[in-house]
Amino acid sequence: MLLAPFLRQCGQWPEAVALVEHGRGIRYGELLARSHSIAAGLQRMGVKPGQPVAIHLDRGIDAAMALFAVLLAGACYVPLDLKNPPSRLAFIIADSGGVAVLGLGAVPAWLEGGLWLDIAACPESTPTPIETQGDCLAAILYTSGSTGQARGVALSHGAVGAFAQWASDLLALCSSDRIASSAPFFFDLSTFDLYAVLGCGASLHFVPSALPLSPARLSTWLQEQGISGWYTVPSLLSFLAYKGNLAHTPLEHLRFLIFAGEVFPTPALMDLAAKLPQTALYNFFGPTETNVCCYWPVDRARLSPDRPIPIGLPAAACELHIHDETGELWVRGPTLASGYWTGGCLQTFNGKSQAATSAKGQSQVPPFAKNGLGGISTTQEAGNPVYENWYPTGDSVSLADGEYWFHGRLGRMLKCAGYRVEPAEIEASVNAIPGVRACAVVGIDDPAAGQRPGLALVMEPWVTPADIRKALARQLPAYMQPSRCLVLPELPYLPNGKLDYNRIQALLV
Amino acid sequence: MKEKLKKFIFAEVIYHENPASFGNGDDLLEAGLDSMGIMRLIMFAEREFGVILPDTEIEPDNVHSLDALERWIRQAGQAQ
Repeated sequence: MLLAPFLRQCGQWPEAVALVEHGRGIRYGELLARSHSIAAGLQRMGVKPGQPVAIHLDRGIDAAMALFAVLLAGACYVPLDLKNPPSRLAFIIADSGGVAVLGLGAVPAWLEGGLWLDIAACPESTPTPIETQGDCLAAILYTSGSTGQARGVALSHGAVGAFAQWASDLLALCSSDRIASSAPFFFDLSTFDLYAVLGCGASLHFVPSALPLSPARLSTWLQEQGISGWYTVPSLLSFLAYKGNLAHTPLEHLRFLIFAGEVFPTPALMDLAAKLPQTALYNFFGPTETNVCCYWPVDRARLSPDRPIPIGLPAAACELHIHDETGELWVRGPTLASGYWTGGCLQTFNGKSQAATSAKGQSQVPPFAKNGLGGISTTQEAGNPVYENWYPTGDSVSLADGEYWFHGRLGRMLKCAGYRVEPAEIEASVNAIPGVRACAVVGIDDPAAGQRPGLALVMEPWVTPADIRKALARQLPAYMQPSRCLVLPELPYLPNGKLDYNRIQALLV
Repeated sequence: MKEKLKKFIFAEVIYHENPASFGNGDDLLEAGLDSMGIMRLIMFAEREFGVILPDTEIEPDNVHSLDALERWIRQAGQAQ
């Protein structure tokens, strides 16, 4: 059970501070008591083990209590990104088969009232204890899907727990640590904060949401809170290094910083490393499906402004292999997600990987047979090839001197402001707008956001780009809105009949 | 200055259906200016107008509108 280390802390040190948000603190014992009451409320509603429960709360103490309550009830949580339009939130709740929605106060107008449970209205109570196995689902994190709809990545208790234990050991987390938390709970970064940190008896301090706009205030806050560690995204750390007034704000307690989610440009990383000489820096790498599969403890002596940094070594006992023909990274190991959750069902990666390889016209034989990494032995068990446990990441990587290097995406997935975005999902929304004849979405490089979606489209004469914008604003979150829009008489095609994405990209830039 | 800022913001930082209709006092943060956008805007302004914008003055109050940005950048320039 994922919460076991946390429950041990609650038993031993109930008076220790667990969570701090805007000056409000909550102790381990109190956090557990509140979570118990909410879990009992869920059980009274009839929520059964294994059923999905959506979380309609922004990151913070209330949301953490709600997540733990769901786990204590044996159910699995689906954190919602409240910045999404209601139509997308409603889709996620329906697609997941959510049987309850935890929130605060009144039911949102767009939601069916019968699902709602106000966590503040749960009387003090103890839930019926539930026995949870490692392969039971703990969380479903929805990300943009290549099938044209948002798609849930299903994480088991065992997978999240394995990552939390590995990270906790790597960073030697202890009860005196004070860890900052800025990741929304629908991002996998949050699993470090919730399970590694609270499993060690440390305190978790929620970064106030306005602080990232004022980097000097952010560094002051880190100093005042005595923060000793933080797992966040490179863009925020770049801003902190560039304008965080670090010369006058010594962060003497900050013993580590971890970054993940996007590529950290080396010059900005060098700036950060120079301004925080006593802080250990770690690059974590991996799609949500693997949580973290690679890590590199930053070696300052090896940083050079014109060279990227490696993604490093296999993390958390993950096995990594590079596909012979495509250079794609394949992963299996204890932190791997169970599969995708669509239409209320778990679909393992097996189906997906087979479909992906046949669509690309690749061979179905073991893909790692010749890469010299011992692939044959690890892909065979009792003489039979085993594929179902491997996840093809879609990332292009190479291996040099025992370290892995990331070379970009093989597919079309974009990384926009830290969110992954499948162009197919935006295209599906655009194509559904009356008057659109054809469209294509490509990534436009953006020094700050990584990439932004650019849209090329062919429309009937009675439609305007403003009509498209209005329709998309109702369906997609801000980071998925195309930053550029180009109307063409027709889309360019390659001689082989495929869309010429390179040409579209050139037209948009 | 405001025109240059506006041109940069709506070409490179945030998308707006109709930038011409966006007033100098309108709220940029509501229009989608986030921390990464502010960082790019500061890099652009420092380069374009030859000023250094002090770390401790990066506040929503100074970046929330084109009017506020211009006032802030001019003050920073005079202080130097």
